[in-house]
Amino acid sequence: MAKNAKPVVSLTRTQVKWRVLWIGILLVVCALIVAPTYANKGVDWVNSKANLGLPRLPDKGFNLGLDLQGGAHLVYQADTKMVPDIDRVDAVEGVRDVIERRVRGGLGVSEPLVQTTKVGEDFRIIVELPGVADVNTAIKMIGETPVLEFKEENNEPPRELTSQEQKQLNDFNKAAEAKAKLALREVNNRVDFATVVTKYSQDEKSKNNGGDLGFVSANLYPEISAWAKTHKVGEVSKELVKSFDGLNIVKKIAERPATSTVSISETATGDVAITEYQIARIFIKTQQKSDIVPPTDPWKTTGLSGKQLKRAEVAQDSNTGQTQVSLNFDDEGTKLFADITGRNVGKPVAIYLDGQPISIPKVNEAILSGSAVISGGFTLLEAKQLSQRLNSGALPVPVELISQQKVDATLGVDSLTKSFRAGLIGLLGVMLFMIFYYRFPGLLSVFSLVVYALLSMATFKLLGVTITLSGIAGFILSIGMAVDTNVLVFERLKEELRFGKNLHTASEESFRRSWPSIRDGHIATLVSCVFLVWFGTGFVQGFAVTLAIGVLFSLFTAIVATRAMSRLVFKWFKEDGNMLFLGYTKKESSEVTNNK
Amino acid sequence: MSIPFIKYSKFLLAISGLVTVISLISLFVWGLKPGIDFTGGSLLEISFSQTRPDNQLIEKAFVELGHKNVVIQKTGEKGAIIRTAFLPENEHQVVLKGLRTQFEKDGNVLHEDQFQTIGAAVSKQLRTRSVWAVFLVIISIIAFVAYAFRTVSQPVASWKYGVTAIIAASHDVLLTIGIFAFLGHYNNVEVDIGFVVALLTVLGYSVQDTIVVYDRIRENLQHRRNVSFSEMIDIGLNETLMRSINTTLITMIPLSALYFFGGATIKNFALALLVGIASGAYSSIFVASPLLAYVDKWQKTHPKK
Repeated sequence: MAKNAKPVVSLTRTQVKWRVLWIGILLVVCALIVAPTYANKGVDWVNSKANLGLPRLPDKGFNLGLDLQGGAHLVYQADTKMVPDIDRVDAVEGVRDVIERRVRGGLGVSEPLVQTTKVGEDFRIIVELPGVADVNTAIKMIGETPVLEFKEENNEPPRELTSQEQKQLNDFNKAAEAKAKLALREVNNRVDFATVVTKYSQDEKSKNNGGDLGFVSANLYPEISAWAKTHKVGEVSKELVKSFDGLNIVKKIAERPATSTVSISETATGDVAITEYQIARIFIKTQQKSDIVPPTDPWKTTGLSGKQLKRAEVAQDSNTGQTQVSLNFDDEGTKLFADITGRNVGKPVAIYLDGQPISIPKVNEAILSGSAVISGGFTLLEAKQLSQRLNSGALPVPVELISQQKVDATLGVDSLTKSFRAGLIGLLGVMLFMIFYYRFPGLLSVFSLVVYALLSMATFKLLGVTITLSGIAGFILSIGMAVDTNVLVFERLKEELRFGKNLHTASEESFRRSWPSIRDGHIATLVSCVFLVWFGTGFVQGFAVTLAIGVLFSLFTAIVATRAMSRLVFKWFKEDGNMLFLGYTKKESSEVTNNK
Repeated sequence: MSIPFIKYSKFLLAISGLVTVISLISLFVWGLKPGIDFTGGSLLEISFSQTRPDNQLIEKAFVELGHKNVVIQKTGEKGAIIRTAFLPENEHQVVLKGLRTQFEKDGNVLHEDQFQTIGAAVSKQLRTRSVWAVFLVIISIIAFVAYAFRTVSQPVASWKYGVTAIIAASHDVLLTIGIFAFLGHYNNVEVDIGFVVALLTVLGYSVQDTIVVYDRIRENLQHRRNVSFSEMIDIGLNETLMRSINTTLITMIPLSALYFFGGATIKNFALALLVGIASGAYSSIFVASPLLAYVDKWQKTHPKK
């Protein structure tokens, strides 16, 4: 608020000079931060001449956004439906870690940005890959969900049936037996064997062939062979012949001596099976325990998976020179691995990737250190790929690519050059306008503008603000706002001078009286910026952040820098201001003789 | 020299009202052409090393690949921007391959400069956020102006400064929207997130402009007590006129540079800002201040009991 009572602050000449000096120092420091290359050349030159060992300035570039340096911006949606609510955040963080490992290790991106956000109930993972040319491969590597598991041999017997399952099985078999007896009765009642086969048999292979199985071996059909041994050719069984998978009514069609190969092997095992029988059968299927309980996997999961793997690396066996892959587990993994190897000494342990065993090393001893090697005829390339795949581990939940932005590096450079040139042209245009219209004070504001531009750019660099195309637009817009502050003050200065105040008082008054509207106006723009930053997408944030920084610094440069310079140099001019200030001479003012 | 703005306020407000109505009509008749930010979809920017095929040929290639609704826009000498429905990554590769087999002949090489896809979930989020951002900015600016003018409650209540400032800013936003509806209809200009950002910036900027004028009125109210409120507004306007014009010119110089030299990506964004900021300067003089005078007049003819 403009309070009338506020006295005009008067500083001593020395104070004013110090302030201007400080601003000069600030200007130099900012210039060094923004463009250290030239200063470093100077440092090198001094060092080469005088050998003072001066340190070079850190020569770090601006933090350029993807649209200016090329690269990819990918947004993934995590499918957390299968994960209980409380574990979701962890699962998504896990995805984040895995993706980061994949892009760092697999793609060799040195500074990827992988972050998670929550939008409503959806979890998203944002991946930024600066400077990546082959985005297609990147997307493939990120999207793959290899599942890494460690398995041990399964020695557990299959589980017992539940009483309900047992009942189901019994019912099924009772029905089968009833059906088989029906068929048997028909056969016994002299119905043609082939007709009964077509009507009843459930053996798809022999059904359309009158039930003919051909010559059967005792290995495959032990029960039927045993029956055939004791019956004559042409005879049909009076009772049901049980086999492991069902009930049979069998007919012996022919018999012959076994072929030589079979006889040798069977003689060798001590079996006397020198005759083969041709059999036809009516088959009724029964259920076994194995039909209900799935067949057991020879490998069972151990709980150790890619989650607990800390790192996999390519290594060389020091003795044999063989290429190996070495594994390092985290704490949990170390403990699990020690248990697993402890109970499997002398036995193999399988490493599965995507449900396929990729390596089945044999455990020589219990491993307590949490590190292991997989050895087994790898080429260097295979070992590298394996370790990369192991390092990438598995995604805890599946992800879907819902948005991508990919900018080619040449387009980025093009945008950067164009927008930089636009900014420069704009800046020069503004400077010319200020000098043309406001004359001497305008020149001061041009100095302030240089301070402003360098200060903002140095801040972008120091804070690591990511400069995007929209950010440059924000900065360019803020140039206008920075000068606006000066325009307000200078218009006021003209007015105060017209009122007949002397230059010193008019200058102080104009700064003081413009302050409230400068402050309020800037806050209005800052309010917009705050919501824009909250808006959250890259384009918007880039713009809002640079605009906000610009608006804040424009306050500083206009009020502090321009003011300090005005205080210093206005003393050099006539008390009532002249052509350089007003653009006209105060002819009506009696005591003035114009020197311009 | 003093321009009697308030004397012509009826005329000025009528013009501004007309402009607003025309903007609203063009908005409702043509509507804005939403970009892929809001509808979801893909944007593919390509360039050719030698010659760019005709738009019809590119479109035909896309139709053959099974993508019917494509919008093709030329950029520069040898480039094109193609907007399609959402392309998943595998489709994207199919399209690229198809375009390459079609157009890469006699040493003409197709180069993919930029590719962008926005899924339905993201575009929905952007739509909701845009609406919220506009709403919240308006509310907080009214609140801020009311706060800044809290000591000025005579003859017009402080919150009314806020509301009139926002009405003036809405005029600028509507004008910008109207122009983009026109451009969308006749020039296929789409509105994207950048457009919303430009609108929000215009809101802030227009209010900043209005604040400077109001502030002068506020200051004058404290010094001179023998003039009417309308005259006070006139004095304030005249005193800040040169500042308004110069500031607007100065802001428009770099923005014009951005529009003409900044490249295709930023062109529409710069245009929206240019229109909005020019309108912002106009409205703080010709809309916000006459409105304030009207509020005062209305209060006098409708005294509170």
